[in-house]
Amino acid sequence: MSQLLNIALEEWRYWLRSHLALGGVTLFIILCIITSFLVTQDMYEKEATRTQQQLQAEETFLAQPDRHPHRMVHYGHYVFRTPAPLSLFDPGLDSVTGQSIFLEGHRQNSAMFANASAGAYLGGLSWLTPAMMYQLFAPLLIILFGHAAIIRERESGVLIPLLAQGLKSSRLIAGKALALLLFILILLLPLLPSAAFAMMKGESIRIIVMLFLVYFIYLCIWAALSLLFSAFLQRRSSILTILASIWLVLNLLVPAIAVNVSGYVFPLVGKIEKDLTMQIELRQLSDGHNANDPGFKALQMSLFKQYGVSRIEDLPINFRGQVALSSEKDMAVVLSKYAKGRMADETRQAQLIENHAWLSPIIALASVSRTLSGTDLEHYHRFLRQAENLRFEFIQGLNRAHIKHLSYHDDINRSKNEVSSLKARVDSSNWTVLNKFQFEPAQASIRLAESSYLISLLIVWFLVLLGGLFWSAARLKP
Amino acid sequence: MNAFRREITFMLSERTVMVLAMIVFCFSSLTLWFGHSAVKNQHASIDRLYVADQEDRLAIVPKLKNWGYSAYYNFHLTYDRPSDFAFVAMGQRDLLPWKHRLRMLALEGQIYERDVANPIFILMGRLDFAFLATFVLPLVLIILLHDIRSSERIAGRYNLLVATAGQGFSLWFVRVSLRSFIIFISLIIPLLIASFFIGVAFKTVLLASVYVFIYTFFWMLLCYWFSSWRLSGSVILVCLIAIWLLLAIIIPAGGRYAIEKTITIPSDADILLHQRETVNDAWDLPKESTMNAFVSRHPELSDHAIVEETFEWKWYYAFQQVGDQETESLSHAYRTGRIKRDYFADLVALLVPPALLERALQKLAETDMLAALAYEDRVRDFHAELRSFYYPKLFPDQPFDKTALDDLPVFNEKTE
Repeated sequence: MSQLLNIALEEWRYWLRSHLALGGVTLFIILCIITSFLVTQDMYEKEATRTQQQLQAEETFLAQPDRHPHRMVHYGHYVFRTPAPLSLFDPGLDSVTGQSIFLEGHRQNSAMFANASAGAYLGGLSWLTPAMMYQLFAPLLIILFGHAAIIRERESGVLIPLLAQGLKSSRLIAGKALALLLFILILLLPLLPSAAFAMMKGESIRIIVMLFLVYFIYLCIWAALSLLFSAFLQRRSSILTILASIWLVLNLLVPAIAVNVSGYVFPLVGKIEKDLTMQIELRQLSDGHNANDPGFKALQMSLFKQYGVSRIEDLPINFRGQVALSSEKDMAVVLSKYAKGRMADETRQAQLIENHAWLSPIIALASVSRTLSGTDLEHYHRFLRQAENLRFEFIQGLNRAHIKHLSYHDDINRSKNEVSSLKARVDSSNWTVLNKFQFEPAQASIRLAESSYLISLLIVWFLVLLGGLFWSAARLKP
Repeated sequence: MNAFRREITFMLSERTVMVLAMIVFCFSSLTLWFGHSAVKNQHASIDRLYVADQEDRLAIVPKLKNWGYSAYYNFHLTYDRPSDFAFVAMGQRDLLPWKHRLRMLALEGQIYERDVANPIFILMGRLDFAFLATFVLPLVLIILLHDIRSSERIAGRYNLLVATAGQGFSLWFVRVSLRSFIIFISLIIPLLIASFFIGVAFKTVLLASVYVFIYTFFWMLLCYWFSSWRLSGSVILVCLIAIWLLLAIIIPAGGRYAIEKTITIPSDADILLHQRETVNDAWDLPKESTMNAFVSRHPELSDHAIVEETFEWKWYYAFQQVGDQETESLSHAYRTGRIKRDYFADLVALLVPPALLERALQKLAETDMLAALAYEDRVRDFHAELRSFYYPKLFPDQPFDKTALDDLPVFNEKTE
């Protein structure tokens, strides 16, 4: 054990003498602190404004005067997506997806205005977040620190006497690995404030611990790679060159190629195009604004039977409201079918990208990081689904008010004159059918379950490299 | 000249150089092929939409009873086809909309609809030629050139080489230039071939090649300068990669952040809410106030701006337009804010070559922010045309005539 520690300590001493290594780490930590600070501040700002906007939208809705309930159906409402607590670490899709939706009757609107669409474009890599610091930059530091571990001993001629004195080569590598592990732990330290802030915002400790673990494993993969090459290759300069090339391929090329392949294998049919087909389907439905549409004959008959009457005027409820209610329900079925189809297509594309995680660990890590942080595609879809639920509920609530609180007689005479149009209203207390909206990420257990496959994939990556390392250690030749 | 020929033979016999050149050649071809297929997809999507849109309009016609219904139910397709050169840089086309279906309702409520790519694609970014040239090419050069002298020192040939080559400067410079040039050639030849077959304008290809050449030259000089340090290859490599990180990621990210913080634009929610509120409120406002606001823009229709019924189509479309008028200043500020941000991004890019090259290629490919804004302007013009088609029929209550619908304005693909 003390042998192991000695080797690790010796490695640390060597690093502490290297200006290059120290400079790199200092730069990394400073950058981490700056980006963490800026991204956190940004997230707090967004949360404050969006919560405020949400409250205001709700207040405005409730403050509407007495009206015809169907006017309120078209008046509509807005929902805003407040950022997930961990978006201060990994904002994920937040900046490239719309953060607000207008909700109204008969339609499902898309989320408009992604922040990035008004951004200053300075190249495809110009989004710096704490998560990206660890995904892209930290592996370079580990390469810088780890590549020389074994080769240095070899080049300085120390390796032969060390092994001759009876030091097991696996011991030597384990000692170097220990030094690197400690280094990785220190690299992860700047994340602690972010973690604390996220916990204050209500993030579960399980998620945070898991996030640390996943990044730890990811960096360990890079450490193992560096040691492996350091043990195998004979020339120090070529080790660094090869590791840098591997970084270039795994972290820049493979993810971007994965996107191309996914788009090529499974091109997404646009929303407008799908909507055109949807319109054809919607047109088959009866027109909810027209109670005389023959499609509502059956509804009319069943109501006649239920209430024992034979004329719409004699029904104790407002038939026009009933028509609106049933038509909205039919429409929602079609609308949701298409919305789900769109989401499934997007998820399919995302999965096609994730399939490439076997080629590059960063794909797995980035995806897990977004899922755990609540900023992945699934959470964006979750926002869309929650918005649709809210929409359907308050629209149907308004339609129910239309059925119960507005007489059919007043309703059909609403356009006769000013007086009759004033009569065709319901009390504004009915607007309370609108529920409060607050977007929250999925429960910790769900997020953990969703990322379990890719986490195990990362572990496999690590174990394979670790196996390779020990295998090569046994064959370490001076 | 002898030294030059010697260097060429030497380079051709070096495996690393030739392998890297081959890899660059393959990747360049691959990205162009992916780019081409993405462009083809977009064309196909527009073609399908064009047909479906026509069919949809035909299906609508029997339903129409008056001009009001006609404007309400008739949607119109607008689109922006990818340019011939878009396969080189898909740019903002994944993020910013290039197709809409609009009707004569308030435009501000429709123009911000985004039918765009999967957000994951936008976040991760495609591997297009521009990405390859901007981010990967410098790293390849760094990997290839950083130890051009130190490796010879290690091999013990340094002094011999310098002595036999005569002038020290020209030897290393020739070697660095030759290696950079072969990488540049491997990158650009697929582009030239693809452009020739696709029929891209000669000037565009030439400009793109010159940009990439200058960019290669920049990184070559940087590597040349660094490699002359009397330090180990590893140190030089680390320094060069650090510079790459600085130029490709850190400075652009900082610049982007600074620009977006200093040049504020109206919040998305403001535009959306304001527009909806004005249109919604119009139902309860006295009709004269809406019509007066409308007539201020259309004095020629003032004789027909009296609304007597509780609902009239002309009043409905008048308040749609007034909704646009009320949001005009916000929308204008949003537009100018975006232009201003783009302008400052141009300035920052002058300091960071990677951003400069990527933006330049996107400009050539017409996939940059300004191209998207130009499309937006064409959409606005088209919407205005729709209004000037319907208003003279709607407001004087002209009898509905289905044959007149043949003269409905058609969206112009490109106005030169």
